[in-house]
Amino acid sequence: MTDQTHYDIAIIGGGIMGCSTALRLASGGMSAIVLDQGDLGQGASGVNAGTLSLQIKRVKLMPYALKGHHLWEEMGDAVGFAKTGGYTLAFNAREAEMLHERQTMKAKAGAPIEFVSNNRLRAAEPNLTQKVQAASFCPEDGYANSSLTGQYYRGRLQDAGIPYREGCKVTAIDQGAAFTLHTAQGKITATRILLAAGAWLKPLAALLDVDLPVNARVNTVSVTERMPPLMSSVIGHATGLLTMKQKANGTVLVGGGWQGLGTPQDGRGTVNTATVKPNLALAQYAVPALAKARVTRSWTGFEANVPDFYPLAGALPNVPNAFVLGCVRGGYTIGPYIGQLMGDSILGREPEMPLFDPGRDFEKDTI
Amino acid sequence: MIRLVPNQSDQIERSGLVTFSFEGKPVQGHAGEMLVSALLRAGYLNLRHAPMDKAPRGAFCCMGLCQECAVRIQGQTVEACRTEVAENLIVERI
Amino acid sequence: MSDHFDIAIVGAGPAGGNAALTAAQSGLRVVLLDEQPAAGGQVWRGKSPSILSAPMTPETKAGNDLRHAIDQSQINHMSGTRVWDIRRDGDKWSLQILCDAQSLQITATSVILATGAREYVQPVTGWTTPGVIGLAGATALFKQSLSLPGDKTVVSGTGPLVFFVASEIRRLGGTVAAIVTPNTRADWARALPSMLQHPKLLARGGVWMADLMLAGVPILWGHAVSKVCGDDHVTSVQTQALESDKQGPIFEADSLCLGHGLIPQIEAAQMLGVPIHHDPALGGWVPDVSPDGVTPVKNLYLCGDGCGIRGALAAGLQGTLTGARVARDLGKTAPAPSIRAWQRAAGFGKAMTGLSIVKPKLEALTSDDTILCRCESLKRSDIRAEITTGAKSTNAVKSGRRAGMGPCGGKYCQTVIAALIAKETGKPIGAIPPSTPRPPLRPVPLGQAAGDFHYDDLPIPKPAPL
Repeated sequence: MTDQTHYDIAIIGGGIMGCSTALRLASGGMSAIVLDQGDLGQGASGVNAGTLSLQIKRVKLMPYALKGHHLWEEMGDAVGFAKTGGYTLAFNAREAEMLHERQTMKAKAGAPIEFVSNNRLRAAEPNLTQKVQAASFCPEDGYANSSLTGQYYRGRLQDAGIPYREGCKVTAIDQGAAFTLHTAQGKITATRILLAAGAWLKPLAALLDVDLPVNARVNTVSVTERMPPLMSSVIGHATGLLTMKQKANGTVLVGGGWQGLGTPQDGRGTVNTATVKPNLALAQYAVPALAKARVTRSWTGFEANVPDFYPLAGALPNVPNAFVLGCVRGGYTIGPYIGQLMGDSILGREPEMPLFDPGRDFEKDTI
Repeated sequence: MIRLVPNQSDQIERSGLVTFSFEGKPVQGHAGEMLVSALLRAGYLNLRHAPMDKAPRGAFCCMGLCQECAVRIQGQTVEACRTEVAENLIVERI
Repeated sequence: MSDHFDIAIVGAGPAGGNAALTAAQSGLRVVLLDEQPAAGGQVWRGKSPSILSAPMTPETKAGNDLRHAIDQSQINHMSGTRVWDIRRDGDKWSLQILCDAQSLQITATSVILATGAREYVQPVTGWTTPGVIGLAGATALFKQSLSLPGDKTVVSGTGPLVFFVASEIRRLGGTVAAIVTPNTRADWARALPSMLQHPKLLARGGVWMADLMLAGVPILWGHAVSKVCGDDHVTSVQTQALESDKQGPIFEADSLCLGHGLIPQIEAAQMLGVPIHHDPALGGWVPDVSPDGVTPVKNLYLCGDGCGIRGALAAGLQGTLTGARVARDLGKTAPAPSIRAWQRAAGFGKAMTGLSIVKPKLEALTSDDTILCRCESLKRSDIRAEITTGAKSTNAVKSGRRAGMGPCGGKYCQTVIAALIAKETGKPIGAIPPSTPRPPLRPVPLGQAAGDFHYDDLPIPKPAPL
């Protein structure tokens, strides 16, 4: 680590978005430092279910998700990438209708989604319940291993010569000719700052007297012990409230955005049995043989969002040289790509796709 | 030889023997004893193979924590140290 | 079932059992939850139904007394019951339990965690070989099934347990190949003043020792097991003198009982938000708790070895203190027992715990090719590589390598991994806390966790925005 204390940019938050932006900025010649209050990639970036599914992406974010998929594929084994294809299931007429409506719109937005027959579904996934009414398939879908996020980006930052500090909470930010960051490990000055602290964006922006309307969802994920092969693709539910995949090591990961308890200010969140149970029930309904798989761990992660559920990506309102990136629905998939766009924008280049103005009116449909 | 700690093994009265199977082979144990002790006595120390290196493993903590004695009964993984021996129990490696 | 109790107590050992008895005497509705078939905890573990009659031991006597008292009381004792999650639900606690392969939920106004201890085993090459069991694991075999770990056994480890295990092997008709203990006679001499307060225990230890000497069992002081040999079962055990690093004798044996002291089981307390601190004299990470069980978390109490290893005697006394405290806090009349007796007992227990503080020379016998994480077969070299490339916390190592994500949930690797991180980063061990504990507290079959359900009744929220 260098003894340098002034940087072209200080990035607060060492998740996927902060790190990918840092890499882009460094490749463009800026000196950057990444600060994280905990370990790199231990927030939402490292504890989400790792699903890379175009079938659960928002229609208007589909072009970003397609680019994101491509980047994850390039990262490959280092992040546990697997392109398995994914099936989304409907178990009754209402869900079938919902599936048809939603997946048709996503297909129009560019995702290669098709509806499949029961015979084809059963041939591909013989352990699925007989009760499927309708199913869609996307060959691009798959997953990566989110728990490798920290390990991966630590290596990337080291290789790029970008300094990072873990356990380095920012407690105050002074504005002047440059920003002075007061941290758990002393003062750091930087010409620019990027706030990329995920669910912790609101208290962080408050240090600059900016009120970002950021809320945190408390998503829950569960994992089983190793099981014999039960499924070969990512399995989802028409409502989006189940994502499930069996990793190469045999463990089955069950997610779907069921809500736990707690706030980012209080720690890492708490699993709520009242929501874990229906989440597991839904998984078991889809693949009955899962009943005998032992669950070894359930956990929560905070997913940040703003009222319109579109990203914050751009200049922080009213604070020159300060930027914010976060609140991306499907942020695991899109994160590596939107980080590149953010980096390009800060470097003064025209990003390949438009960013999302953090100063917009969140109550109006502006995206 | 003088023993200050006497051998009391012949003063222990046990329940009758029943037969169960491990990996298809008949094993005798006392009804109601811990499965793990019956398997140990019968010489079945290797209860499973570790998933990553396939190395043999056997009972270790004997109190339901380490999961090294996990075996499969009727398709369900259970701890041999928390399962009682019963007649005709079919026990398999996971 | 969705019964409500005044107090739910997790663990029916000396601490939980006595807490339950005291609380029930004050008229409170108490449920005592325990995963073993009979109350008594590990130290007073009850015999399995396969034992029709057997000679009495002091442990059987103490356990029978506790079990009898519980049977005679108004306590609702649920044995064979696993608690897999506890959470706050308004002004009460909600506990998820598994009983007879059924998932149930109970609620309670107050919770007492009496989760006891588990064993620490300093990893050594070959410790995963079938035939190697924990010292405490061996006592479970003795107490529950009156059975032996093998025909010829090396007994190795720290503190008094090593002599108890060797003595029990002889009582049950087995053969002790050798006793190998990292403790020296000088270690024991330092512990002697505390032991003099308990002449009965001291005398019992004296008998064990004299018997082993008369039988000609080699006792290697200041030695440790350096390697366990054998492919699919133990065939021999290598030893080493700790101070001189000289190779010691090799013993032919079919089994090895190995253990280096106890560590408090704090996961449930930690999960519920009780702060923890590191105290080597109490076995490692311990929760912040008063002598009568009060924690900073409202209506949550702790007692026994789960708050620090002070031994069975102290655990029982703290159980009584805590049961009385909870009763008073819930508005009942209960005696306020003196904490002096607990303090005295704790002094003895801590002296025994002190014998198991891991010596650097013992730690040094864990080599790069020794497996640290049994579930994932991760060697020390694997963990060290993760640390040297930047993982500086137990959570980071867990994320990168799955050490702690296997079925044991990190119970047998987190302590040694934290010690390795401390060593590699030059930080004190007290700066490297254990990884974040999460439910389920024990592996739970998914179908049992989900419980019975009808699809149409699942509370499916509205879908995500399109």
